[in-house]
Amino acid sequence: MTYEPPVTDYDHIVENCTCAFCGCNCDDLDFLVKDGHVVAVRHACRLGASKVMEDMDQRLLVPMVRNEEGVLEEVDWDTALDTAAEYIANSIRPVFYGWSETSTECMKEGVELGEYIGAVLDNQATICHGPSLQAMQNAGYPIQTLGEVKNRADVIAYSGSNAMNSHPRHLARYAAFPRGYFRQRGRFDRTVITMDPKFSDTAKMSDKWIGFEQNGDYGFYNALRAVLKGKKLQSESVSGIPAEDIYELAAEMEAAEFGVLFFGLGLTHTLGKQRNIDIAIKLVQDLNTNSKWGLTPMRGHFNVNGFNIFMAYETGWAFGVDFCRGYGRYMMGETNTIDLLVRKEPDCFMVIAADPGAHFPNGANQHLADIPVIQIDIHWGPSTELADVVLPGSFISVECGGTSYRMDGVPIWMKKAIDKPETCRDDEWIVRELKERVMKLREEPNVADEYVPNEGLACLLDK
Amino acid sequence: MEYILKNGIVYDPANEVNGEKMDICFKDGKIVEDVSADAEVLDVTDKIVMPAGVDPHAHVAGPKLVVGRLYRPEDERRGVAQKTKVTRAEAGFSIPSCPTTGYRYSRMGYGTVCEAAMPPLEAKHTHEEINTIPNIDINPLPLFGNNWFVMEYARENRIDDLAAFIAAMLRVSKGYGVKIVNPCGSEAWGWGMNVHGYDDKAPYFDVTSREVVRALAKANEQLGLPHSIHIHPNDLGHPGNVPTTIATLDSIKDIAKSTKASAGVRDQTIHCTHAQFHSYTGNSWKDAASGAEEVADFINKNPYVTCDVGQVTFDETTTMTADAPMEYDLFKISGLKWANKDIECETAAGIIPCIYSPKTPVSTLQWAIGLELFLHIKNPWQVCLTTDHPNAGPFIRYPKIISWLMSAEKRMSMIDNGEVHKWASKRTGLAGLEREYDFYEIATISRAAPAKIHGFQDRGALTPGYNADIAVYDINPNDFDPSKDPEGVEKAFSNAYYTIKDGQIVVKDGDIVSTKQSHTIWTNVIGYEEEEKQIIDSIMPFFTQYYSVKWENYQVHDHYVPNPTRVDVEAK
Amino acid sequence: MHYANTYLERPVVGDLENVAQEGTTKVLKCMLNTGSDIYQGACKKRGSTLKEEYKNASGTCYMDPRDMVKLGVKNWDTVLVKTDYGEVVLNAAKSRDAPHEGTIFVCKGPWANTIVSHETYCCSDPTYKGIHATVEKTDRKVLLMADLMRWVYKKYVDEEDDDVVENMESLGERPVYNGRKWEELIDHDI
Repeated sequence: MTYEPPVTDYDHIVENCTCAFCGCNCDDLDFLVKDGHVVAVRHACRLGASKVMEDMDQRLLVPMVRNEEGVLEEVDWDTALDTAAEYIANSIRPVFYGWSETSTECMKEGVELGEYIGAVLDNQATICHGPSLQAMQNAGYPIQTLGEVKNRADVIAYSGSNAMNSHPRHLARYAAFPRGYFRQRGRFDRTVITMDPKFSDTAKMSDKWIGFEQNGDYGFYNALRAVLKGKKLQSESVSGIPAEDIYELAAEMEAAEFGVLFFGLGLTHTLGKQRNIDIAIKLVQDLNTNSKWGLTPMRGHFNVNGFNIFMAYETGWAFGVDFCRGYGRYMMGETNTIDLLVRKEPDCFMVIAADPGAHFPNGANQHLADIPVIQIDIHWGPSTELADVVLPGSFISVECGGTSYRMDGVPIWMKKAIDKPETCRDDEWIVRELKERVMKLREEPNVADEYVPNEGLACLLDK
Repeated sequence: MEYILKNGIVYDPANEVNGEKMDICFKDGKIVEDVSADAEVLDVTDKIVMPAGVDPHAHVAGPKLVVGRLYRPEDERRGVAQKTKVTRAEAGFSIPSCPTTGYRYSRMGYGTVCEAAMPPLEAKHTHEEINTIPNIDINPLPLFGNNWFVMEYARENRIDDLAAFIAAMLRVSKGYGVKIVNPCGSEAWGWGMNVHGYDDKAPYFDVTSREVVRALAKANEQLGLPHSIHIHPNDLGHPGNVPTTIATLDSIKDIAKSTKASAGVRDQTIHCTHAQFHSYTGNSWKDAASGAEEVADFINKNPYVTCDVGQVTFDETTTMTADAPMEYDLFKISGLKWANKDIECETAAGIIPCIYSPKTPVSTLQWAIGLELFLHIKNPWQVCLTTDHPNAGPFIRYPKIISWLMSAEKRMSMIDNGEVHKWASKRTGLAGLEREYDFYEIATISRAAPAKIHGFQDRGALTPGYNADIAVYDINPNDFDPSKDPEGVEKAFSNAYYTIKDGQIVVKDGDIVSTKQSHTIWTNVIGYEEEEKQIIDSIMPFFTQYYSVKWENYQVHDHYVPNPTRVDVEAK
Repeated sequence: MHYANTYLERPVVGDLENVAQEGTTKVLKCMLNTGSDIYQGACKKRGSTLKEEYKNASGTCYMDPRDMVKLGVKNWDTVLVKTDYGEVVLNAAKSRDAPHEGTIFVCKGPWANTIVSHETYCCSDPTYKGIHATVEKTDRKVLLMADLMRWVYKKYVDEEDDDVVENMESLGERPVYNGRKWEELIDHDI
C-alpha cells in the first residue's frame, strides 16, 4: 500500500452519518462530498471506509434479466420487476433471504409480501448468530448497551471473536479504549481477555490470551463454571488450558466490578454450536452471583440484529419464519435457509442485501443453480453469478435513509447524505413494487375463511 | 360518515350516565349530539354501551418486549392463528406480536393503551412497534427514575432544570409523561446491587429514591403535565414492602397539584402502578401475607393517590420490567431463563418467564391481594384494571378479572373448592369480602378512571366532541345477573359486539372487520423552549462523552411518529 | 476527481524465514478454519469481488510457516485443499496469527464455500470451522470469482466436465452482460 495524500478537494461535509458495515453501527462518520459523490470518509475504520468508498466498476446500476444464452441483459424496470414478480407468484416454496443490509422500512414491505405469498423469511443470522439465538432461547440473554460497557466495564472478554478484524472500532469506540464515566483512564482501567484458539489480532492487543483447543469451547467453559462453583478440576488441563490458568481466570472474572463477554462466530461455527453459547450464557449468569456481568453477541452486519428485532415484533419470531400455511412457523434447523436449500425445497429464491454466493456452503448453494434467483443488491457479487433477475438497489445510510439496530439493540436512524444514481431505486420501493405486482398476479393463498382463535389461549384454570 | 348507536344501555361514568337507555351519535370520528336522518343506524338494543377501554399501564411495545419474543418462541407458538382477509397471522400468548396485540385489545373493546416503560435511548424502537400495532392508540411513558441527569438534578434540588429536562426529553423521545421504576435501584443494578427501602442511596450518585421521586413530582406539577408521575415503587415483589409503598405515596403529600389547565383533568399527583406487587407483609415468603388492606386504607384516605392493580391471572406468562434487580432475584428463585438489558445512563430491564399457578401458595397470595385491593379501595376512580401486562398475566384476561370482580360467589367457590391454594383464605381477607362491582364501576375502572388519571381530554367518555371510541357488549344488564354468570361476563367482554375506533367499526361480533393505523400520543410542552435549549446545551459535553450515540441520532424524528396525537401543554 | 482509494491488490503477509524448494510431505493433513479478516471484509464490502483483490483476500490459505516448509510452498504459491465436501485451489501464504501448526485458515468467500460443511445438525448454521482437510502443492491457478462460480455451480454453462469449465476463457475482472458499458454510465477514475 502506498501513501495517499488526504482528500482536500470537497464541497461540504455531512456529519454524524452512520456506518453501514458491522454491528457497531458507528454513527459519528463524516462524509466528504464533492459533486454529489462521497470522495472520502472520516472516523471510519478500514472496513467502513471501504464500504462507503465503494468500487463503482461493480456497482449495479441497471436492472437485468438473464437471457436464453445465460447472459444477463439490461432491461427496463418494468420488465425486470414483472419477471421477478412472475417467478415469485408462480412458486410454491419461495424463500426471501437477506435483509441484514437494508432498513427496517424495507423489511416492512418484505414481510407483507412474504405473508401474502406464504414465503419463508430468513436473514444472515441463519449462518452466523442463529445458534446464539437458539442458545438464548435455552438459557437466557443478559445483555447491556455498548455505552454501559464504555462507562462501567473493567473486564472485557472476547470469545471466538476477532474484533480487530471484523469489528475494528469496537475496542476503540465502546469496549477497551474509550474513557468511560467510571473508567476515566480508558484502556488502563480495563483488563482485556481474548479466548480464541487463534492468536488473533485481538488476542495480540489483549492483556490475556486463552488459546483453548479447536472445538474445545464447551469443555473450557464447563471447567470455568465448575471452578466458579467451587469445584476442583480433576485433570491437569482442560481443552488444552492448564488447570491453574483456569483457576486464575475464574478468580479474575469474578473479581470484576462490571464484566462483559463479547462472543463471535468462533463459538457458533464449531461443532458445539448453540451448546457453546448455552454454557457461555450460563457462565455469565453464574458470575452475577458475586459480580456484575453481561454479554453481547458480536453481530456482523449493521442490521442483522434489526431484522431479528423487526421480525419478532411483526411476526413473533426472529428469523426463519415460514408462512406457507398462512400463519408463522419457526423451527430451528427446519425452516432456515441452509436446511431448506440442502433439502432442495425452495423453488424460488429472492436474495436482498445479502450474498449467499459468497457465504453459503457449496452444499446449499448447489440448489440455487437449479431454481430462479432474484437478487436485490448494490454490487455485482458472487450471487450475481447465480442470479436470473438483478434489481439494483440503493445504499442505505449514504444514498437512502433508514432504521437499523446496533448489536446491542440500540436503534439508529441512518440518514441519507447524497443522491442515489438515477437509474437505481430504493430497496423499499423495489420490494413494494414486487409486492404489488405479485398481488395482481396471484390471489392470496392460505387465508382462513373466518378467524379461528388459538386454543392455546385457554386459561390454566380451565384445564 | 354519520352513525347512530340505537337503544343501547349506556354506562359513561365521566358523564354520570349509569345504565340509561339512550342513543349515541358519532360523525367523522367524533361523538356528536345528534346526526341527520341519513345516519347509518347500528341497532344495539339492550346491549351495554361504554366508552372504548383505556389501559393505564401495560407493556406492549419496545425493546424488552422484543427480547421476550426473541427468547420465548414457545410463547409465540401458543397463540398462532391463520391470517384472514382482514387480519394478519397472529402469534403469541403473553408477548404477542404487534399486530396480534392490536387485534386482541380491539376484540375486548379497547381503544387506548399506555405503554408504560420507554427507555429514551431506544425510543425509536418503541415507536416502530407502536406503528405496527393497529387499532389502538398508544401513549408511551419515558423512564426517568434512574436517569443520570435526573439523579443529579434531584440531588442538587434543581427543579427548574429538571422541569426543562423533562420537557426536552418528552419532545426528544416523543413521550407522554413521567415514568419512574424502582428509583435508584436500577442504577444500583449497574453494579449488581439494588436499593432497599425508600431512603437508600444509589451508589456513587449519592441520592435517595425519596429525593428523586419528590423532585420529579415537583417538576411534573411545575410543568402541569396531563398525567402525574407514574411510579413503580422500590422493593417490588418483596415480602414486607408495604412500608416502602406507603412511604413513597406519603412523601409527596405536600406537593400541590398544578393549577394549569393541562393538568385539570386529573385529581391525583401520584399514580402507583401494579399496587398488588407492592402490598406484601411479612419478612420472607415463609410468613408473607396480604398488606392490601393497609395500602387500600391509605389510598382511601388520600385522594391525591391513584393506582392500578396488576392482577395475577394464573397463567404462564413473561415478566418484564425496568426493575432489573428484582428480575434477577426471581431468577435466583425460579432458575428459569433470565434475560437482562442495561441501558446506558438511563435504566435497565430484566425479563424472566413466570408460571402463576393456582396450586402454589405465592401465586395464590398475589391473586388474592390483587382482588382485595380492588374490593377495599372504595372509590373506583382511584383504582384501575390492569394485569401489568404481561407481568401478572396477559391483557386478554381482563374479562376474566371483570367476572371475578362482579361475582363474590365465583371467588368464594374458587376458594372453597380448592381451585386455589389455601393461602387465599389463610393469609388474606379475600374470603370475607362480599363486595361486587356493577357495570358502572367496571366502566369506571376500565375506561373512565384510566382516562382521567392520564389526563386525556379526548377519550374515556362519550362526551360530544370526544373521539368516537366506543365499545358495545352483548349483555342486557336488565336481564342478566353477573354475579351468577361469570362465564357470560367473560365471554361478552372478550368479544365485543362492536368496537368503534375514531368512528370506524373495527370489530363486529367479536371479529376484526377492519383495521386502522394507531395514533402515538405525546406531550408537547410549550413555553420552555429557551430553558430546554439551555439544558440541552449544558448536558451536551457529558452526552457526547458518555453516551454511545450522537445526539443527532438519539432523537426520535417525525419519521417515527407518522400519526401523532400531540397534546399541547401551556407550561408558562 | 480524487477519491480516497481503498483498493489493495493483495493482503500484507509476513516473509518466510525458511523456504524449502522440495517439501517433505506430499499431502498434509490439517484442520480447516474459516472466518473473516479485515482484507476480505474490506473488499467484499467495497464490492470488488470480481477482482484480483478479492481473489487474493478470500482465495488464500493462511498456513503455519512450518507447514509451508513441509509442503515446500512459498508465499503466493498455489495449493489444492480437499475436504469431504469438495476441493479448491488456493494461494498459500504465511499466517499473521501463526503459530498454529496443523491448522489452516481460509477467509470466507466462494473459495472456502466449496470445502466447508453444509451440515447444520439441526441448528440452522453450517459448520464453517473445525473441518478435517488435506493440503497439497499444485500447479493449477486460483480462479477469479466469476470463473470459480462458473466452475463450481455451472448454472449457465452446458458443459459438465470440470477440466473443460476450468479452462474456458476467463470471465475477467469486470461484469459480463449484454448492454452498455459500465464506464459510459458513471463517472469514475479508479
